[in-house]
Amino acid sequence: MAAPQSRAAGGQWHKHLLLSPPLAFFAAFALFPLGFTIYVSLSNWSITGEHRFIGFGNYATILASDTFRQSFLNTVVFAVVTVLLQYVLGLTLALLVYRSTRGQSALRLLLLVPMMFTPVVVGFVWKTLFDPSYGPISWLFDRVGLPQVPWFSEQLPAMAAIVIADVWQWTPFMFLILFAALRSLPTAPLEAAMVDGASGRRLLFDHMLPMLLPASMTAILLRSIEAFKLFDVVYLMTGGGPGVKTSTVTLSAYFTGLRSGDLGTAAAMTTMLLIVVLIATMVLLRLLFWAGRRRSRADDAAALQVERDDVPDPTEAVDAPVTTEVR
Amino acid sequence: MRAAGWGRRTVLFVWVLFALFPVYWTFITAFKQQVDIYDGPRFIPFVDFQPTTQAWRTLFGDGGGDFFDKFANSIIFSGVSSLLAVILGGFAAYGLARHSYKYGPYRNDDLSFLIVSQRIMPPIVSVLALYVVFVNLRLLDSSFGMILAYTAMNLPLTVYLLRTFFEAIPVEVEHAAALDGYPQWQRLARVVFPLAAPGLAAAFLLSFFFAWNDFLFSLMLTFNDAQTLPLYITSLNAQSQPLWWLISAVGLVALVPPAIVTVVLDRFMARQVLIGGMR
Repeated sequence: MAAPQSRAAGGQWHKHLLLSPPLAFFAAFALFPLGFTIYVSLSNWSITGEHRFIGFGNYATILASDTFRQSFLNTVVFAVVTVLLQYVLGLTLALLVYRSTRGQSALRLLLLVPMMFTPVVVGFVWKTLFDPSYGPISWLFDRVGLPQVPWFSEQLPAMAAIVIADVWQWTPFMFLILFAALRSLPTAPLEAAMVDGASGRRLLFDHMLPMLLPASMTAILLRSIEAFKLFDVVYLMTGGGPGVKTSTVTLSAYFTGLRSGDLGTAAAMTTMLLIVVLIATMVLLRLLFWAGRRRSRADDAAALQVERDDVPDPTEAVDAPVTTEVR
Repeated sequence: MRAAGWGRRTVLFVWVLFALFPVYWTFITAFKQQVDIYDGPRFIPFVDFQPTTQAWRTLFGDGGGDFFDKFANSIIFSGVSSLLAVILGGFAAYGLARHSYKYGPYRNDDLSFLIVSQRIMPPIVSVLALYVVFVNLRLLDSSFGMILAYTAMNLPLTVYLLRTFFEAIPVEVEHAAALDGYPQWQRLARVVFPLAAPGLAAAFLLSFFFAWNDFLFSLMLTFNDAQTLPLYITSLNAQSQPLWWLISAVGLVALVPPAIVTVVLDRFMARQVLIGGMR
């Protein structure tokens, strides 16, 4: 990847200088805090500064605690549900806008508006929208004769409200990446398939989606990493309530660490979160590499098909086995 | 085909309605009085409620001192930290694109991944530790501390994005500049960085976006002087009846910088500037 360009004489010391600030920041703001957090998680460090090493006591405490287990489960559920919804909706929108011929750029900007909102404001706006007494959503439910939903006083409706707010804000992000990827797709294989008489559905599932796999995996990976950090919207919409039924790990750690002053237990919570995020990221990265390989195979197959279509030769029958093999 | 066209238009229309209604709601709420908010939903100005500029007069009038301070904090922290992240990240990205490194087992790709991997770690993991560190170094609630924290937050992004940009610039260009007698630093300043200008701009805007939107760092590491706009917004919620009209007005003001960022980035996307980083 890297082009070795440094001239031997005198060109060596400054290359280390180039890289040192990010590495220094990495050490100070990632490596050291991580080590420190792991150490704190093994102690009964309180916010007043007194502490003693207590081994894995905090981990035993949080694993036995219903609050933590609920937050942990919620974090995973929120991440999976929001990212999947955002991906499906983002892809649908990207395909729809891609096929619009008129007003495409204006439409694209309209779709991006939710992303411009500061997450704090998103939390507040959706809180008013869902408000049981003066929110427009309850008003609408009332008007069309649907039963009143206790949006913030029961677990499932509250989680749904949070999911809707998050999907509202971040579907545009998926759309943005997938739309850009769609536009950069090579048109030759698609045209070749169309000439071959592939239906719209076949074109989508056999050709476009495989070619979109790397971009899809990248978008899903980036969103998943963010989704595990979910905090602001929950903090402002429900505060984790009713009780702790919509709490996330970040929220629990914040309340335990800064509000109750129990840094040791909070650190143990965040360490557990980090472990899960690392596992999820590794799985997704694996899938990303796999998607990349599949994409290049799909490209090769497509190229082969284009070649075949470009040159209508009489030995078509001889060619046929080759293409099936590649597929 | 005709039926499909209608289906497509309906789905798009419903989504645009869903995407834009909350925006409309924020906008009209910023012009409502307390009564119009708490007496059930009112939808159309001049028809079911009389718009007022009360919220805006509070913000830009006498009661706005706090608002301006936090707004200035947000602009300064986001701007300065993004600039730092682009400059420091730009140099590092240039290094990774042009030189080969070997620190122990870590080569260029590993170093690049190591720097990016910071974004994977949830901020709550580091922010508890940073809180203790900031207390001891007296950086808590300081501008300097917040700028450092946001620079650290954005460096991984700028290094990662800009590396692909510098790799796309042919080395021959630099050789030509060297033959013309430019010393190393001038080759960077006069030739390489201007060529990567779209990338530098995109990296700056994205960094600004993330710093501007941050809530957790500000919540944990500031309490008064160095508070940012999101914290000011939450402070309007402290009462039993939130000041929705003020929250909405500030929310609209807070929307402006990210809106500019998005429009400009969208132009870049249209010109395929960012695709290299997405693949």
